[in-house]
Amino acid sequence: MKSSLTQPLLALGATLLLASSAAAAPQVDKTAIKAGTVITLAGEAIPDGVIVIEGGRVTAVGAASEVQIPWDATVIDQPGMVAFPGFVEAHASRGIDRPNETLDVAPFLDVKDSIDPVNFYFEEALRQGILTINVQQGNDTVVAGQGMVVKPFGMTVEQMMVRPRSGVKISAAPKRGKTRATQAQALRGAFDDLQRYLEEMVQRQKDGDDFDRREALYQGRELEGEAAKGKPLACSGWTVDGFERVPRGEVDEKREPLLRIIEGKLPVIMWCATPMDVHAALRVAEANGFTATMTLALAPACWKAAAKIKESGCSVILAGLEDDELDPITGESIETFVPKVFHDAGIPFALMSTGDANRSLWYQAARCVANGIPRADALAAVTTTPAAILGLGDRVGKLANGTDGHVVLFSGDPLDITSVVEHVILDGAHVYDRSKDVRVKQLFDGTRPPGTASDTSGEEEWPGDGDDPEDDDDTENNG
Amino acid sequence: MFTSLILSAAAAASGSSVPADGTSWTIHADKVYTSTGKVHESALIVVDGGKIRAITPGVEATRDALKAAVVTAGMIDASARLNSGTASVEQSSEVTPLISAEFGVDLFSPGWGRLARTGITSAFITPLNQNCIGGMGMVLKTAGDRSVKGRTVEGAPMICGAIGSQPSQRNSSAFGRPTSFFNRRPTTRMGVEWEWRKSFFEAAQAKEPDASQKVLLDALAGKVGVFVQAWATQDIRTAVFLKEEMAREGFGEMRLVIDAGAEAWREPAMLVRTNTAVILPPVPAQGRTTDGALMSVECARVLRDNGISFALSGHGGSRLDLQAGLAMRGGITREEALRAVTLTPAQLLGVDGRVGSVEAGKDADLILWNGEPFEATTRPVGVLVGGHLALDPR
Repeated sequence: MKSSLTQPLLALGATLLLASSAAAAPQVDKTAIKAGTVITLAGEAIPDGVIVIEGGRVTAVGAASEVQIPWDATVIDQPGMVAFPGFVEAHASRGIDRPNETLDVAPFLDVKDSIDPVNFYFEEALRQGILTINVQQGNDTVVAGQGMVVKPFGMTVEQMMVRPRSGVKISAAPKRGKTRATQAQALRGAFDDLQRYLEEMVQRQKDGDDFDRREALYQGRELEGEAAKGKPLACSGWTVDGFERVPRGEVDEKREPLLRIIEGKLPVIMWCATPMDVHAALRVAEANGFTATMTLALAPACWKAAAKIKESGCSVILAGLEDDELDPITGESIETFVPKVFHDAGIPFALMSTGDANRSLWYQAARCVANGIPRADALAAVTTTPAAILGLGDRVGKLANGTDGHVVLFSGDPLDITSVVEHVILDGAHVYDRSKDVRVKQLFDGTRPPGTASDTSGEEEWPGDGDDPEDDDDTENNG
Repeated sequence: MFTSLILSAAAAASGSSVPADGTSWTIHADKVYTSTGKVHESALIVVDGGKIRAITPGVEATRDALKAAVVTAGMIDASARLNSGTASVEQSSEVTPLISAEFGVDLFSPGWGRLARTGITSAFITPLNQNCIGGMGMVLKTAGDRSVKGRTVEGAPMICGAIGSQPSQRNSSAFGRPTSFFNRRPTTRMGVEWEWRKSFFEAAQAKEPDASQKVLLDALAGKVGVFVQAWATQDIRTAVFLKEEMAREGFGEMRLVIDAGAEAWREPAMLVRTNTAVILPPVPAQGRTTDGALMSVECARVLRDNGISFALSGHGGSRLDLQAGLAMRGGITREEALRAVTLTPAQLLGVDGRVGSVEAGKDADLILWNGEPFEATTRPVGVLVGGHLALDPR
């Protein structure tokens, strides 16, 4: 296991505290966190609470008087702080190379090949207490590819990985250069192509043409076991007669993700920019049988389609809190607080952070409270709801027996304007300590990291750029 | 949490003291932060004809009162940047002190309503920052009267300009390029500094000063304030040294206000010795602002610790209440943050006789909050501008 000095964040110059163990390190077997308050999100907050993490998993959460701390556990004792499960980001197109391929339909692409572990975004996520992130391709696409759920710490994508192939990103809103009509056509076409391809496979099978088998072997796939067997198509939208004759392993790897989508095995995140996109999205999902496994990622204007979304049973991810519309005649601006609409309609919603660190997930949740959403529901929108959307509801977003050993220690209540993330414990390892985060120090008081050329820590006055020593003498002249 | 807001119309109909002109109200608040250091508990505020008539602490709410958890004075954005883009830059010269923002104001811009609904009741409007000395700024209410005159709050006159890279940004020399308006000086930061000094020297030494130069002479006499955008410490230095140079030459003592002083925290001593006030820009996402300046979150605290007068601003794009909250995150108290968005900007702009605090006799520019101000979990649920309801709490 690597020592802390080789960690990527350090390499970036951000000397976050990396406890003696690395992210995936098994050395820290047992950790106990004592906090003034423990917000579990699985019940009431616990005053004077204790969280015990063993082997990377939470094994006990409760009042200090009730929980037995193992004698050999490393104890982090912060009576003035608030323990919190950490935020969950349901959708982010950040921490990666270019977010979209120019290809229209590319379900075979995997964001795993694009994630950059030393990207500043992951460092910032850790600092904001976001401990689970679904990294997905961007919105400028038809079928963009597969996402991956990661934690914001680790030297390699494998170390960061929480769940690979988390879902496929699809867009119902026009890709650059397309109209809504051509986008809808391209989207329908992607699934029509799949149907035609599967029918042709059946035909070749009937004809005794072994093209698909040779192709599969050429692509390096083993055609043994399950892969050698055929199964009927399990899609509620349409079917292909005789598909059970086709060994599943022979399906081309470029097509296979779409097949998994229509059989409900691979979730979909569908981007919609306007209410009309929502209708297009629901139509294509209905026709291809993946409504139940689809989550809608929505621009603010989409609140107008809330009734339709409620009918579909889909959860939503909200990119933006406020919709500001200009009345075309009076010119007056009509503002809608979007999460309130979904909350009142009873639709499960997750919030998304923006690129501005000052408006991260905590801020999004706090704005919901300011606009009349009960605190518990606002917190759910940045923890348990996104966790459920990602199929990780029993692992992240709350603190209970068996959840991942992720804890954020805030200086106060997570939604208070003055609260900051003081410590992060990830899989039981202490990976972040604010007092040792020089980047945060620089952002707060302007000092530069020690050892850099313009270290201004200490008493000396900032000399100014293009410093002129005579300048200071001017003060004396002035008396 | 406070939610129920009682309709006062019914009470008005039943013949209570609320006239029908829409600028007279009674407001009850669990707490009133006055901006002057006083806090009134469970207070009734009587608004009549757009003015605050009386504040009575320690009383129950009347049936017809508008109710709020907290009431503060309306916020004043000293750098609201609500102008018509580059159309507000006069391009006939780099130094245009005679021009006034007044004639570029669009009262029908939806931006006004947006400011008002977020609790900003007065805003300082200036010509944009692409000229060295752009012209006169003015303080306008964000709602209420439908004329510029009716919305203007007469304050200390301020001449507005910019030091740094922005005034020269698009300029270039004429050599080897197609002729355009931007074939002009200055093309560098040095050139911008030169324009400033040259203008003031020429005005001070003119035998028969023209109209423009008279404005600059008023600035040197301290009758007209000098409002200078300077993001980086090098540009703040330029402004401060200009003031000191003018004083040394015996030309006069300017009243200097630094706008967008992101790096004011670097050299507070020079601001203290020249009694210079600072308007802080919105806290950037990752520290860096325009002109490559680094704005620390603790900037407001450093200024407070040094006794420097400072106000916060939203630049039209960021909620001012969030900026106040972020300043609290940087280490100042709620009371200090409140002053920095109400009374201090009012004083800097010379309008504190009318606005900036909750006191009898002042304009009824008030924010009704649903909790402690500047928390991310609260917001203005009601806003009055001169007694007019810009955001109806009911």
